[in-house]
Amino acid sequence: MYDFDVIVIGAGPGGYPAAIRAAQLGKKTAIIEKEAFGGTCLNWGCIPTKTLIASAERYHHAAHSEDFGVTAKGVTFDYAKMAARKAEIVAKLSGGVQMLLKSNGVELISGAARFEGPNRLSVVQPDGATRWLSAASIIIAAGSDSAMPGFLPKDKRVMDSRAFLDLKELPKNLLILGGGVIGCEFACMAAALGTKVTVVEMLEDIVVVLDRDVRRVLRKRMESLGITILTGAPLTHIEVKKDAVTGTYKDQTVAGDILLVAVGRKPNTVALDLARAGVKVDERGTIPVDAQGRTNVASVFAIGDLVTGSIQLAHAATQQGVVAAEAAAGHKAKVEKVCPSCIFTSPEIGLVGLTEAKAQQLGIVVKTAVFPFSALGKAMAAGETDGFVKWIADPVTGQVLGAQAIGCHATDLIAEAAIAIRNELTIDEVGNTIHCHPTMSEAWMEAAHAFHNACIHLPKR
Amino acid sequence: MAQAVIFPKLGQTMEEGAIVKWLKKEGDPVAKGDILFEIETDKANLEVESFFEGVLLKIYVREGVTVPVNTVVGYVGTAGEKVPDQAPKAEAPKAVPAAAPAQAAAPAPVKVEPAARPAAAPAPIAAATPATRPAPQPAAAPAPAARLIISPRAKALAKDACIDPSRIAGTGPNGRIVEKDVQAYLSASGYDALRITPAAKRLAAEKEVDILTVRGSGDGGRVMVEDVERALKRRPVALSRMRQVIARRLVESKQTIPHFYVTVKADITDLMAFRADLKAKGLNYSVNDFVLEAVVLSLEEYPIVNSVTDGLTVAWRGDVDLGMAVSVDNGLVVPVIRAAQTLTLKELSAQAKALAEKARAGKLTPDEMVGSSFSVSNMGMMNVDQFTAIINPGEAGILAVSSGRQVPAVVNGEIKVRTVMAMTLSVDHRIVDGSVGALFSNAIRSKLENVELWKSLV
Repeated sequence: MYDFDVIVIGAGPGGYPAAIRAAQLGKKTAIIEKEAFGGTCLNWGCIPTKTLIASAERYHHAAHSEDFGVTAKGVTFDYAKMAARKAEIVAKLSGGVQMLLKSNGVELISGAARFEGPNRLSVVQPDGATRWLSAASIIIAAGSDSAMPGFLPKDKRVMDSRAFLDLKELPKNLLILGGGVIGCEFACMAAALGTKVTVVEMLEDIVVVLDRDVRRVLRKRMESLGITILTGAPLTHIEVKKDAVTGTYKDQTVAGDILLVAVGRKPNTVALDLARAGVKVDERGTIPVDAQGRTNVASVFAIGDLVTGSIQLAHAATQQGVVAAEAAAGHKAKVEKVCPSCIFTSPEIGLVGLTEAKAQQLGIVVKTAVFPFSALGKAMAAGETDGFVKWIADPVTGQVLGAQAIGCHATDLIAEAAIAIRNELTIDEVGNTIHCHPTMSEAWMEAAHAFHNACIHLPKR
Repeated sequence: MAQAVIFPKLGQTMEEGAIVKWLKKEGDPVAKGDILFEIETDKANLEVESFFEGVLLKIYVREGVTVPVNTVVGYVGTAGEKVPDQAPKAEAPKAVPAAAPAQAAAPAPVKVEPAARPAAAPAPIAAATPATRPAPQPAAAPAPAARLIISPRAKALAKDACIDPSRIAGTGPNGRIVEKDVQAYLSASGYDALRITPAAKRLAAEKEVDILTVRGSGDGGRVMVEDVERALKRRPVALSRMRQVIARRLVESKQTIPHFYVTVKADITDLMAFRADLKAKGLNYSVNDFVLEAVVLSLEEYPIVNSVTDGLTVAWRGDVDLGMAVSVDNGLVVPVIRAAQTLTLKELSAQAKALAEKARAGKLTPDEMVGSSFSVSNMGMMNVDQFTAIINPGEAGILAVSSGRQVPAVVNGEIKVRTVMAMTLSVDHRIVDGSVGALFSNAIRSKLENVELWKSLV
């Protein structure tokens, strides 16, 4: 007999839903968390950044609304207050997670877990005592941490996104290493609050997962926010000076009060001692799993950021967690293939499914259709005419294979595209669906009409 | 003057082939030595160069169409030059022999054209060899509706519903299918309860998949694009020429040669140790090299195994032309080591290696793959305990070599760990009897176990 039916390691956005689902299915469940309930997403990721971005946007709107007939003089901000508001929201949500777990009868265990066998764990608790646990199924949901490459100087001016969020005031000059999603989100947030930001990205462009046309809009807007974007060469000779961090990009010296390192995330698998359970880990430290999240060891599942090939997003982990819990309970569930992504830059970006670039790479013939927000009444009214939505579809059947949106509310708008792709709608079902006027979502319908060159609100081509 | 481009004869036994891919289009400039097209024979894929310089004026033979060798497939000349609309008959295409002799090339198998492509050049051969057409799978591929008697309205309804009307019993005059038959069929077959995504239905309509034959894997059994694609994959696809030849020869063998099998297990422990010694001295021999040599020596001792019979006569093959099965992408080829009895072990090893490399690179010429007198199929690298092989027509036997295994074995009354390798001989019982099969198999075994022999041969 085991102590539990299911034990989940890690109470992030993948782990806690897994534990709740297992408990809902009548399984005796425990969850082990070494730091804060809610994990990276809730404590040092999605939620705190969105809280700060909301503050930054408030400030930005208040200070720049003359065009709307609103003049506000002497608009200022207090970053410490913004940070305090963020801490309050995080605390509330973290408490909420614990409440949800408890209400479902999940046992909460604090401490760091490691494997002792395929069904056995030891947990070093905060008081130093070791607790031994066993379970029929163990779900690994330990997540990831920011990667901090070894060549970087170890200094308090060189930090990852988590440390950056703990700052009580923003730097005047911020140097960001890495122009991926996290680097660009922080760049936009800091720039909106007046920080002079420089982003250095080794690849030829920022956020290369996006199609070129989407990147072009993002880059232009970021540059108009005063962000310096340097791409196509690495940041070298990184040194910490008395009051700054400097580095070299090509022949140019760049500097910031702080260097924010955003070069990707590494899986938290080492401390788990997976070898003792016989769980296979690939060369990058991530865990290969099947469509249900099962590892090579039948009793062990893995979900979220530390899974090989996983899209490192909270909502992907949540779905994987639910599926793993159902599989552990003997149900035949499968991880969903369609997973939308959201990027909280300024402007926002949403994407789902195939990109045009990926289709080309895979040799899949696609047809695209775009509708710009500049032709949309609601966008004009809101003063948000930058951006567009784009469908990527099968030219023969019209099946919607991918979508991208950049602009105001793009991260919300992408949900419609996700439903269309998940349920294999064709461009015609989207185009024939009545969309509210005046809303941003009309752009999807218009773009679907544009697919057949039958757009009402674009001049004839 | 425009020069005719001829489909080449690349081997003595080659009678026909197909152009797999044209690398030039009509109107493309062509330099001498440019690759014009890639051909597929029953043995290999080969590239064909242009002997001429100019412009590719005309293509007569499209990709995938099998033609006799020496057929004019196109013209190269100066731009604007006139060439015939139809391919001239450079050599009258060989009529398909009604009853081909066993060794002659088989009638060209029917090419099953992918549905998306329009029917290729008329294929009169089709009628001659109906047996080679794969049985249609009504589940996935609707039978041609040519003879279906159906009203236009019924046809339109069936098409709209994405179902195959040939499965419907007609109640009109002469069994004509009328609209209400389709409606009755739909309601009887639970069509109304069928759930399908819009994209899946479009795809099914596009590819003429009967959606009633598709099992849905989506939420609540909903038919998804993936399911229609799976149904499409159930449609018959033409085998490659290589596989068609494999199929034909294997069936011929199993139907005409009475096989029997003898298995022996060779203790190769000492041989492995000897091989390791050689390796330390920089001499690299594979286990297969020793097997091949042991087979060659044994065939010299038992000439009847190196013979061929047609059931009326028996002929000794003389030379040991040793066939060596090599697995390649989606098939296998059997290159031949000629007169292997005249080669030293070192030469045999070098030839085997060279031929295997050539085979894997797809560079074997057709002539390198015909005329073997006995074959060896070695699956030692594939982790198998034992298997039997099918005799190549024209030979009396084939040896199937399995993996060496460490097993407890009795040596001088004691149990030791030894490496043992199973070998199964398949032989033609018409000329080889059980006792000879046993003696021959044991001759191979005792040679492999005799390290003194190998010391004298390296």
